[in-house]
Amino acid sequence: MIFGKNKEGKALDILGKQERDQSYWARVKRRYLKNRLAKWSLRVLIVIFLIALFSDFIANEKPLYCQIEGKTYFPVLKEYAVDLGWAKREAKFYQTPWQDHDYEKVIMPLIPYSHYTQDTKNIHFVSPFGDQDVPSKRYWHWLGTDQFGRDVLAGMIRGTRVAMLIGVLSMFIATLIGLFLGSLAGFFGDTRFRVSRIRFWLNLIGIILGYFYAIQSRSYTFNVANENGTFGTEVLKSLFIFFVIILLCNFLSKAFERISFFAKKITIPLDLIIMRLIEIVNAIPALFLLLAAVTILEKPSIISVMVIIGLLRWTTIARFIRSELLRVRSLEFIEAANAMGYSDWRIIIRHAIPNAIAPVLITIAFGVASAILIEAFLSFLGIGLKNDEITWGLLLSFARESTMSWWLAIFPGLAIFVTVTIFNLIGDGLTEALDSKLQ
Amino acid sequence: MFKYTVKRILYFFPTLIAISFLAFGLSKCTPGDPANRCEDSSSLAAINNCEVEYQRWAKLFGLTGPTFYFELTSKAYPDTLYKIIQKDQRENWQALISHYGNWEQISNYKNAIQETQLKLFEIPDSIGKSDVKKIKKELNFLPILSKDKVITSRLNKILQAYNNTPTLRDYLDKEISNLETSYQNIKEKAKPSQLYIPTIHWYGFDNQYHNWVTNFMIGDFGTSYKTSRPVASEIRDAIFWTFAMMMLSIFVAYFAAIPLGVFSAKNKGLRFDKITTVGLFMLYSLPSFWIATMLVVFFTTPEYGAWTDIFPSIGLGDLPSDAPFWNRFWETASHLILPVFCISYNSLAFISRQMRGGMIEVIQQDYIRTAKAKGLGKSQVIWKHAFRNSLFPIITLFANVFPAALAGSVVIEVIFNIPGMGKLTLASILEQNYPVVFAILMLAAVMTMVGMLVADILYAMTDPRISFDKK
Repeated sequence: MIFGKNKEGKALDILGKQERDQSYWARVKRRYLKNRLAKWSLRVLIVIFLIALFSDFIANEKPLYCQIEGKTYFPVLKEYAVDLGWAKREAKFYQTPWQDHDYEKVIMPLIPYSHYTQDTKNIHFVSPFGDQDVPSKRYWHWLGTDQFGRDVLAGMIRGTRVAMLIGVLSMFIATLIGLFLGSLAGFFGDTRFRVSRIRFWLNLIGIILGYFYAIQSRSYTFNVANENGTFGTEVLKSLFIFFVIILLCNFLSKAFERISFFAKKITIPLDLIIMRLIEIVNAIPALFLLLAAVTILEKPSIISVMVIIGLLRWTTIARFIRSELLRVRSLEFIEAANAMGYSDWRIIIRHAIPNAIAPVLITIAFGVASAILIEAFLSFLGIGLKNDEITWGLLLSFARESTMSWWLAIFPGLAIFVTVTIFNLIGDGLTEALDSKLQ
Repeated sequence: MFKYTVKRILYFFPTLIAISFLAFGLSKCTPGDPANRCEDSSSLAAINNCEVEYQRWAKLFGLTGPTFYFELTSKAYPDTLYKIIQKDQRENWQALISHYGNWEQISNYKNAIQETQLKLFEIPDSIGKSDVKKIKKELNFLPILSKDKVITSRLNKILQAYNNTPTLRDYLDKEISNLETSYQNIKEKAKPSQLYIPTIHWYGFDNQYHNWVTNFMIGDFGTSYKTSRPVASEIRDAIFWTFAMMMLSIFVAYFAAIPLGVFSAKNKGLRFDKITTVGLFMLYSLPSFWIATMLVVFFTTPEYGAWTDIFPSIGLGDLPSDAPFWNRFWETASHLILPVFCISYNSLAFISRQMRGGMIEVIQQDYIRTAKAKGLGKSQVIWKHAFRNSLFPIITLFANVFPAALAGSVVIEVIFNIPGMGKLTLASILEQNYPVVFAILMLAAVMTMVGMLVADILYAMTDPRISFDKK
């Protein structure tokens, strides 16, 4: 009998496996992995991600581990602690350059240069095959150097981090905005968003008053805070004031709704409004706006470039999620959820969006590619990033200054090309895997 | 159909207005003061001259008058603040109001500064020359200072210099004490409560935005900060090259892409199709500024051997303008080969991919099978029946290609040093020549929107199912 039981369990196992395999995402995954190009793109992407994540451990002028006068140090790890404010750098490490210490034992990273290390013996564009003045093959500049003797490979590894950061975070911002507005437009359409008259007007007034008290009246506080470096907390305070005012307006409108005149419902054509907004954002040539906006900022940084790209790129996501929700909202399970008495927001977040999210992944993949391209483009033109930051676009632009350094023209461009292509291939693979016609 | 077109055109205008708000708002956030070009304050005449100059520049650049039709501020701000034309001073008084909220006292203080400045010029040269100079210098700082600590220290310096030469008392007695008391009044009679009472000032139609937009509509895009020439004429010079390159590249792209797309759709799944699909995909992903840089590095210089020096160097050639027309034509044409290639290959790949997709879908339709069953020849089926129907998405793509080529040409023009719109934009941004930047932004937006409008109407014409009501 024990034998039989075992078999039963096996059968259950197989059944359970099949059940799991029939789930939507399992099918998508299986179909995606069938596409060899897409599978390999995903693997390369993971490698790129790891390079971006561990760039400090791959290319650094500091040793990973070293022993001086019997004491052990982990300088690269320590640097993270210093950046976070948990520890202080040892005096001797910032008095003498890293390469001048007498190490008893030392493990250097794979590339013993940081992106900012200026190798004074190899300045003025030294070719990978040229005469490099290095102590050993270990210190060879595999992809050459730039004008100041900075290692191009180290710069490219650092650039991976910037590119990934821009690509991923700007699309994160874009996805948040796109999901919110797109699902509003798709779920409510032009006719289903109805609020009472008083709530509408009070909210409108609330927004104006909120702007006035949160921003206009506080301009002096902002000025002072800007000098003291407490700008962030003041912004939070302003946001708080704004939300309190909006909240008050909604409480008031609740009270007024008892009067039937005020309680009369009006319809807000959310879809129309949001589609117009999308049209406006699409009509603005993103590149020109980005160029103009970045130069207005007095201190542009990676974050501001990310935010601007995110603010311009949400429209495709919003359109996708809108059309998906238009489809989903007429399905039976939404009706069922409605009949159960769930609130609109709960239905949107818990039921509608999870069923409409798949096509958004495609847009995100393509969006990351274009965000990386835009950033490379901007830094190629020399706009937007701080002087001490190095990016692929910036490295590529050095090739314009010195046409004999072919390594500056080829390798950074290749990095941009490979990354962009990989995201495009992943997008293509996803499109195929999610295409319901092919099922 | 007609109803749809009218509706679509009506929707065009609110969008355009919203974009003009954005462009104008951004242009108001720009740093720097373009009208401030005069630093001379040695004599009364020079100062007056400077003010006249400032007003002239400000008027030329459209920086005078209220900013918008209305303004939402607090009760503390007067509605006449815009009459102070100097940007730095206006912003400074605003900062003072946002702190103390009592415009009456602040304006007294402002007048006291002016009166003292005027009075200083009445003092004969013989009396306390160095001290007068000192007071003048400190006084010039006062209208652009808002922090209490700094103002007090400047005022103290003025007092010191004033007490240093007793004879100055005959001239400046009233003014200096006025200055001091008026500043003390600001602090003592502060009314911060005024800052919390919202008010709306209505300015009417004579405002900067209104003038900018109405001028824009009649083709007056403002005045360049850099050259003081009309922006329209600067753009006219630049747009020729961009337009020429764009037309050439669109022509090249369509000319090559359509046959390529049709053939690979016809041979779907065969080797030709597979190779072109992969090749076009690669081409589509290649960033044009990388290819352009590589082409410039490898094919325009003899550094890698004489055989790689195929194309002329960047720029448009340097033949004098009196050279024979055809010589100049060929010189320019040879310089345009690489840039046009760089702009067009991206859209080439895109269009032929679309063409292939559209064609494949059409080929599967029933009427194609009917046509084949009728016994029509293969090429006749493809070119007469399928091709026409697969053209619709391509026609509408035209709307996207236009702005894309404009954006794509920015970096190509910079790399190949062609004096077009892209190079003008970048140069204006780097020179902080904002009227040009925002005029180009507006123009590009209008062009994009017209393209989208035409595409939508074309869509509606080809597909009668499209309408606003049913989505």
